[in-house]
Amino acid sequence: MKGRTLYALLAIGVILALLASCKPAATPTTPPPAAPTTAPTAPPPTQPPARKVATFIWTQEFDVLNPLYTNMWFSSITQQIWNCWAWDFDDQNNPHPVLVKEMPSTENGGISPDGRVITLKLRDDIVWSDGTPITSEDFVFTYEMTMSPKNTVASTFPYDKLEKVEAPDPKTVVMTFKEPFAAWQATLWHGLLPAHVLRPVFEKEGTIDTAEWNRAPTVGCGPFVFKEWESGSFARFVANDNYWLGRPKIDEIFIRFVPDDASQVAALKAGDGDLGTFIAYSDIPTLEQAGVQMVKVFSGYNEGWYFYLHPEKGHPALKDVKVRQAIALAFDRFSVCKDLLLGLTKPPATYWANTPWQDPTLEPWPYDPERAKQLLDEAGWKDTNGDGVRDKDGVELVLTLGTTTREIRRDVQAVAQQQLAQVGIKLELANADSDIFFGSYGEGGPCATGQYDIFEYSTVTNYPDPETADWLCKEIPSDENPAGVNWQAVCDEELDGLFKLQATQVDPAERMKTFHQITRLIYEKVYWLGVWEDPDIWAVGPRLKNVRLSGATPFFNIVEWDLSQ
Amino acid sequence: MGRARHFESAWHVPPIDDMLRYVIRRLLQAIPLLFIISIILFVLMQNMGDPLATLGGRQVTRSEDRQRLARQLGLDQPLYMQYLYWLIGNDWTKMDLDGDGVPETPGRRKGVLRGDFGVSLVAKKPVVQVIWDRLPNTLLLMGVTELVIIAGSLIIGMYSALRQYSFLDHLVTAISFIGYSMPIFFVALLSMYIFAVNFKRWGLPYLPTVGMFDPEVGKTPSQVALHMVLPVFSLSFIYFAAYSRYIRSAMLEVLSQDYIRTARAKGLPRPTIIFIHALKNASLPIVTVVGLDLPFLLAGAIVTERIFAWPGMGRLFLDHVSRGDTPVVMGILMMIAVAVVVFQIITDIVYAWLDPRIRYE
Repeated sequence: MKGRTLYALLAIGVILALLASCKPAATPTTPPPAAPTTAPTAPPPTQPPARKVATFIWTQEFDVLNPLYTNMWFSSITQQIWNCWAWDFDDQNNPHPVLVKEMPSTENGGISPDGRVITLKLRDDIVWSDGTPITSEDFVFTYEMTMSPKNTVASTFPYDKLEKVEAPDPKTVVMTFKEPFAAWQATLWHGLLPAHVLRPVFEKEGTIDTAEWNRAPTVGCGPFVFKEWESGSFARFVANDNYWLGRPKIDEIFIRFVPDDASQVAALKAGDGDLGTFIAYSDIPTLEQAGVQMVKVFSGYNEGWYFYLHPEKGHPALKDVKVRQAIALAFDRFSVCKDLLLGLTKPPATYWANTPWQDPTLEPWPYDPERAKQLLDEAGWKDTNGDGVRDKDGVELVLTLGTTTREIRRDVQAVAQQQLAQVGIKLELANADSDIFFGSYGEGGPCATGQYDIFEYSTVTNYPDPETADWLCKEIPSDENPAGVNWQAVCDEELDGLFKLQATQVDPAERMKTFHQITRLIYEKVYWLGVWEDPDIWAVGPRLKNVRLSGATPFFNIVEWDLSQ
Repeated sequence: MGRARHFESAWHVPPIDDMLRYVIRRLLQAIPLLFIISIILFVLMQNMGDPLATLGGRQVTRSEDRQRLARQLGLDQPLYMQYLYWLIGNDWTKMDLDGDGVPETPGRRKGVLRGDFGVSLVAKKPVVQVIWDRLPNTLLLMGVTELVIIAGSLIIGMYSALRQYSFLDHLVTAISFIGYSMPIFFVALLSMYIFAVNFKRWGLPYLPTVGMFDPEVGKTPSQVALHMVLPVFSLSFIYFAAYSRYIRSAMLEVLSQDYIRTARAKGLPRPTIIFIHALKNASLPIVTVVGLDLPFLLAGAIVTERIFAWPGMGRLFLDHVSRGDTPVVMGILMMIAVAVVVFQIITDIVYAWLDPRIRYE
């Protein structure tokens, strides 16, 4: 009898559990239209259209929304949704005025002849989402908050290049630089703070570090306005009725945070999400089968090999340009892209591939192992002891190739090891976790301290600006300069001079000519060897229309996006 | 009269004065222990990553920004000074925020001893708020899971002891051991595959797998309950085996005791024998295990929360450890340390209540 009672209890428990699962899981769909209301003598009511809610799937949750306090990509790219840059960059990477009437130039007097003073003329119709006009005071306030020592902002760049920012009238911003700053167009005014909301906070608290606006920016200047952010779950932005380019067609942007790539892909395939990013190459076929469009957007990233060229600590072989050229010719990066990356990308010629800054005549080093052997012979590296590895003056041509632990990089290492062995170069492979691999010289990072002869990773300039400090002689890390970023320890006087020159060239056309020289020099001397172009892969669902994505400001035209139901 | 004596012994309350003295003594002993724990954790945190390294986003943090932020956040101070500021604050001194070598700005931190756990380096909001945003979600998930585990294990363990070697005993024992030997991520993914993916494919009502509620519907109790089914099931399934075996073996030992035979001989009702006499004495090992488990409810279940995207403490801890966010991580770890101490004291009190032979001097 007691046993039967227990059986019954267990059975009831199981039935209850099954019944509890009877309610189907609601998936994010557009809610039903609101009930219509009618006037007494009005014609028969028509149903208002369903709300257009576009769902984005993010694999990382924002840390904070205030542009001054974050460089997290998943947060920064939302600024075109709810905040505003003075100008965005379109899908051709051309500047696209947002708050200014036109881009300043020497022709229109926006840039002074000496390049130190840049004047912005603001549009007359720009307003915050609460209706308050956007004025030059907001620009001055943003600058002051960035530079105030009481605010722990993520970076003061490039505002620390400025001598002063003035507002002679509400629609004019005058910036005076300490020295001509060529990268102004790509780096200035990435986000604006509302002075009328945050100045009172700063005056009361002495800082805006803990302002509520940092995480709940209910006053913005983008086509959408922040509505809600449920920690760990989602964030919502609703259409801004006060947007000066007109109310967007989409009513709401809903950003859902998922724990990993697999969840993102599952959501996109099921139609629960309309947009995702950083899609792995291996997921592309299944997503395309589900009707999701893959869009490749270059954001300046390229995967490549860096050679450690320290005059004392570097391997003697790598100091010879013929050896580096031989390595470029012996490593078949084309087959790597075809076999390991499904043919969806190709080797870049230089660091600046897919930008106008690269010399357009440059093509990636071809695969020519015979020519590689010839160059190595000419350089004096021959296999004198018959062990299959070349040597010279008693030094074996054994090089360490280091990278992170990502599987694709391990696969590339294995391929490279095999191919270089065929020309008599022995590669020893090394891997380190990212946080160790990317450690600075001061932290004992293996790249920065010369533990690897060749190291591989993907990086970028100050995109969309071509500027980089990676090849400056003064950036070679040492005990005196532990934070130096020139981990290759390259000190080429001609290259150094060209980099210093371009930094002063405010005229983009002149600067481009200098960069063409830079790219050709780096290419011919093989200071960097491209392995694969590393665009951002976006997944755009079939419901989204009019989508154009750029590398620097992906959502630059989000006001034009539409959603088919 | 005999029944009243049994009732009285079942609801024994230990002497209040002795217990109070014991609790106070344990709390006083806990204070230096928590200090030592906090020092060890603080030192360990220095090797858990550099918060400034991740502030550059997709690019390496500039050295100028790194130096400025280290100065502003006090990270350039010697370790013992950083610990001191964390403990007692820095509003009693001035900080050099502008880098001219002269401390000019009064500190704003009050320190942990005054309830100020600082501001998250990453989220830019008070640590207490960061934790409070997630703690209720974790308590809900883990609390329900613990209750389900205890209830389920009691049923299974008691039945197994009372119907030892029966078919159902063998069956539930086998199933619970299968669950025990599976890793949590396997159980979680399998349950998602069956009850969400396949049920949907077969046209059956299916369970949600992501998040705490459907944002379109809202954070209603029924939504939260529905979203909790799979994570609670996955976690419970693994622990049924261990807990039910504890109860089974403890019950078997107690049921063979003389006083149980005496109680039967005296004609006491079977429920009274099982629940008042046997279970109460058999529950000491369970109290130990539950007492050890309860503080870790606060830590959440990292793998489960990640798989089901449950916005709890486990994911919070993981996210902030990976960013080297010392204030938040210290806040979470110290909260767990305090919880361990408090729940151990509570466990001892429950021991004394359960077993009148236990006395604390």
